[in-house]
Amino acid sequence: MHIAILLILAAVAAPAQDSLPLGKLPPGRVLLVAQPHHDDHTTDYGMGGLIARFVEHGFEGYYVRGSNDEKDGAHGYGRNDIINLKETWDAIRILGMKKVISLNWRNDFMNPIPLDELREQLIFVIRKYRPDAVLGHNPWEHYQKNPDHRNVARALVEACWLAGYETVHPEHFDLGLKPHSVPHYYGKGRLDWGLGQISNIAMELNESQERKKELAIAAHRNVYGSGGAARALSAELAKEGKYIPEFERAAGELEASDMITHWWMNWTSRQIGRKAGVKYAGSHNYTGGLYHLPGLREFVAQNAEPVR
Amino acid sequence: MRRRQFIHFAFARSSKVVLVVAADAEWLLYAGGAVAGMISSGAEAHLIRIGNDEKQSWDLQPEETALRNRRESEVAAKILGIRSVVSLGFRSSELRDVPHTTLRDRLMIHIRRLRPGVLFIPNPHTEHDRNLDRYYAGAAAEDAWHCARFANFLPAASDHGLEPHLVSEVYYYAPPVDPRRREPESTATFVPQPLQTDIGGAFARKLEAALALDTINRDRAMRLKQTLEASGQRLRVLDSVDGAVVRRIAEENVRGLARICAGGTSFAQAEEFRYAGIDFGIPREYR
Repeated sequence: MHIAILLILAAVAAPAQDSLPLGKLPPGRVLLVAQPHHDDHTTDYGMGGLIARFVEHGFEGYYVRGSNDEKDGAHGYGRNDIINLKETWDAIRILGMKKVISLNWRNDFMNPIPLDELREQLIFVIRKYRPDAVLGHNPWEHYQKNPDHRNVARALVEACWLAGYETVHPEHFDLGLKPHSVPHYYGKGRLDWGLGQISNIAMELNESQERKKELAIAAHRNVYGSGGAARALSAELAKEGKYIPEFERAAGELEASDMITHWWMNWTSRQIGRKAGVKYAGSHNYTGGLYHLPGLREFVAQNAEPVR
Repeated sequence: MRRRQFIHFAFARSSKVVLVVAADAEWLLYAGGAVAGMISSGAEAHLIRIGNDEKQSWDLQPEETALRNRRESEVAAKILGIRSVVSLGFRSSELRDVPHTTLRDRLMIHIRRLRPGVLFIPNPHTEHDRNLDRYYAGAAAEDAWHCARFANFLPAASDHGLEPHLVSEVYYYAPPVDPRRREPESTATFVPQPLQTDIGGAFARKLEAALALDTINRDRAMRLKQTLEASGQRLRVLDSVDGAVVRRIAEENVRGLARICAGGTSFAQAEEFRYAGIDFGIPREYR
């Protein structure tokens, strides 16, 4: 998502949820983030802050990039792919993750691909890394204009539970993998962008996590490092005889654009934090536990006991 | 905004009901009570299984799983009073890559053949349901309902005497996981509305039928145990899982769902739908 779009969103964003409960980090040691694009884990309502929090609490983090990102950038397909993959690594290192696994499906051509094949690849990765928590898009997003987001999310939410079934892709077991179902899923949630993106929790971020979130998105220089955002904003303000004093102190348009990125990311975290009564937070649609078995929740709540 | 509708009992104006299911026990869990009620009132019901349920078992191979689930579905359908079961045999959990029109046209043939007045279909518009077979099956079933009335579809079948057929009532069913499932849409015309139906009179039969799905019930019980263990919890009843325990968990599930769906009503047991009836096609002010 480009900065100019972020600025437009900033103008229209009208948080519709007054409050959000604070979620707790689940137990575990492995985090897997799967998104179609190089920057999806770091964008404004993305996952960067929560990823940093997981990692700071001892989780190993892995990023699965679904597409090859050939369309993102101004350098042509091949070079965009190479640069964006390199910058994905830069971003995940800032967040403390261990590895990028790129599935390399053709960027923005994911609507007609065989989704069972994409899902098989995600099931494979889940069985290999055995994540305790998975972060991804919310497959029920309304007004999701990019089918890559929706399709990867649909494949991912099914992969999270089907990976636990012995009857699903038994060929994996000949390679030494074992079934593994994912107990915790965090989908992107932002109610200002359609009712399907409803958030049900906020995850608090500390200063360090917030800072990493801001730095991680700025690492995607190929799409966010043109200086165009500062140029466009300055031009708009100049029509009203206004300017941003901080830009006068910046070394150039590039640094000024980076300022906008940091302000926007910081503003988003503060807005969500306000709903949860904390300084910084990210909002998510969390599903886990027995959400898929609503008929048994009450029975389990009344009868379950901790394992000794 | 209209308030959501309650009806004391699902009532079919037609005497023929077709229930379309993607896979699993969903047809019984989310619509079995309403269908049983209609059968008690004299309706003739038929079940169309799209998926083969080959994945839904705890420790069986896919082929054995599919066979058992088919047999058990037929037993459960018989208990409920369903007259016939059609199994289309598509591989479960793999409906996403079946062409939409392939699914739609298979369903359309059966709609024209059986000529129901009432259709139960998975709701493709529900959200937060992690089993997306229900989405793909529901979208195809909804399209089949829409297209079955037009003569320009399925010309070969029309030539064989399968005339276009309009189904006048449709119940969309889904697991009650969507937090906005009871929010009414803006208008009842062309948009199905939330509906809670009392299934108290049919609950015992629904439960008996659900208990016949032994393979799926065992799978659910074992995966519940696994899920709880992964989060450091246990249910004593699951320490040793035998047939009685499997049935106990299945019964708790059926009872729990009925309680959830009855929430906000005076019913003891209910099911929830999105309902497209006469208001759906003909605005109230025109009648």
